[in-house]
Amino acid sequence: MEIKNNNQNIFKKYTNKINEIKQLKVGAILLILLLIVSIFAPVFATHDPYSLGDEMVAAPSSTHYLGTDGLGRDVFSMIIYGTRTSLMIGIVAALISGVIGTLLGGIAGFFGGKIDRLLTEVNNIFLMMPTFFLILIVVALFGSSLINVMLIIGLTSWVGNARLMRAQAMSLRERTFIMGAYSIGEKKWKILLKHIIPNGIFPIIANTTMIISGAILTEASLSFLGLGDPNVVSWGQIIYNGREYMTSAWWISTFAGIVVVLTVLSFYLIGDGLNRVLSPKLHDQN
Amino acid sequence: MGSFIIRRSFTGILIIFVAIFLNFMLIQLAPGDPISILSGQDSPSPEMEEALREKYGLNDSVGVQFLTYLRTLAGGDLGESILSGRPVSEMIAERIGPTLMLTLTTAIFALLIGTILGIYCARRPGSKLDNLLSGLSYLFDSMPSFWLGMMFILLFASWLGIFPTSGMIDLRANHSGIAYYIDILHHMFLPATTLTLLSIPYFFRITRSSVIQVMSEDFVTTLRATGMKESRIFNKYVLKNSILPTITVFGITIAYMITGVAIIEIVFSWPGMGSFMLNAISRRDYPLLMGIYLVLSISVAVTMIVVDVLYAFIDPRIRYSK
Repeated sequence: MEIKNNNQNIFKKYTNKINEIKQLKVGAILLILLLIVSIFAPVFATHDPYSLGDEMVAAPSSTHYLGTDGLGRDVFSMIIYGTRTSLMIGIVAALISGVIGTLLGGIAGFFGGKIDRLLTEVNNIFLMMPTFFLILIVVALFGSSLINVMLIIGLTSWVGNARLMRAQAMSLRERTFIMGAYSIGEKKWKILLKHIIPNGIFPIIANTTMIISGAILTEASLSFLGLGDPNVVSWGQIIYNGREYMTSAWWISTFAGIVVVLTVLSFYLIGDGLNRVLSPKLHDQN
Repeated sequence: MGSFIIRRSFTGILIIFVAIFLNFMLIQLAPGDPISILSGQDSPSPEMEEALREKYGLNDSVGVQFLTYLRTLAGGDLGESILSGRPVSEMIAERIGPTLMLTLTTAIFALLIGTILGIYCARRPGSKLDNLLSGLSYLFDSMPSFWLGMMFILLFASWLGIFPTSGMIDLRANHSGIAYYIDILHHMFLPATTLTLLSIPYFFRITRSSVIQVMSEDFVTTLRATGMKESRIFNKYVLKNSILPTITVFGITIAYMITGVAIIEIVFSWPGMGSFMLNAISRRDYPLLMGIYLVLSISVAVTMIVVDVLYAFIDPRIRYSK
């Protein structure tokens, strides 16, 4: 009974916190809606997003809520199914970047010395590179499958996470509880994985949420350049396909773009909200 | 100061080197052999194959190949475009002007507008305008650049008909003199506005938080206690200290902006590097694509070094540290 009560309190504390910070609340609501849409895509979709209909470039109506595209596909259903693609790309790419950034930053900050200098230099180089063009060349050369796109976005977007984790590790390694871990004979690697990373991970989570936004935008840009995975429906591709019909059928690109904006926005808001939870002092002044 | 410039230049050179190395590795690792990638054909003629083998020393070991590759690049040879058969360096040189024009115009406008708005809002935190602009900065951050560009074309070009939809000059009008430049400005308005709107949030946010941070420093409180006027404190002491981060961000933003410029060029058929990048992608013109990537990497590295050196000139803390 006691434990249950305690749990309820913690839960209440979190929901209060979420309600307190507007960004987090709006972002979380948007995200939940998106998740529901992507999980129950077949329920929401009115047509098969891949089937080519007879009515081409039809304006929004009661049969086709958001009209049809140049091949007669239902834009509304395509957008619904596109949620899955965008969320998957964003989340997987961000996870890759989160893992790489946490490990590299943690190692650099915790061990220091030569490893730190080397990793910081690698970090600086990545920070200054026009990574989008690298992504573009890799996708053009190796093919534009979903996995390639997720991998390359993840592999090029870990710099911010690494910087954050490095700073965290540098400040944490001086703390007493880490000294305590040393004194009971814990190995360095174990300290890094068991104490440093779990205690310093929170800002990385906030930042990784923002990386989801970046990854979704990058995928949209790739699709716009004709480098999207042709086997799946994605928002970027809907916009890309609608470009030819821009003057005659504005609905194709417009609605897909609005959905991208809302999705990216929801992750930005959550990331920013998490940052506020993290450092209320800094943001109270704002 | 001297050692600072040397240190930064070293990083810059390293970046260029890494970009070249990545380019080289990609050709090596890509599916298919380097010849088919460099020639753009699955089965190039024996003469062509021989010529490429000779040029890049493809019969040698990978290490020697890399050196040969470096040597060709050092001579300004970026290879030949598969599409046109012309040297890539020549093609890029022709196109770099309009790209630079668009990039610099938007960078300067975004820097000015973003900084001014940031300062304005930082002095009135929590005001209606501050909330509105903060919200807008999120919104613009979340927009795919090409989509915003398309919406502008839809609204201002095809519905209202105020601005042209594409290109840099009206080819039929054949303007000369001032009319020619006005025509360019007229064509540049939509792409430049799109890019500026998308880049303002960076500068807005960094300036705003920087000003707010400096305003909360102890020395400002002390100045207030002496009874100094708020406007004087701000103009004389806060502004100088808070403007510095903006300059650093300017360098990094240029790197992101170049991506944006390339895509916006495609949307508005602006005759710069970006719009023929699209061609290079769709026809898989790898030498051209890689040439563009290298040139961009070098430009970004150079810009960052220049900005950093400038920063060190302004802020003595940077130049004397370490």
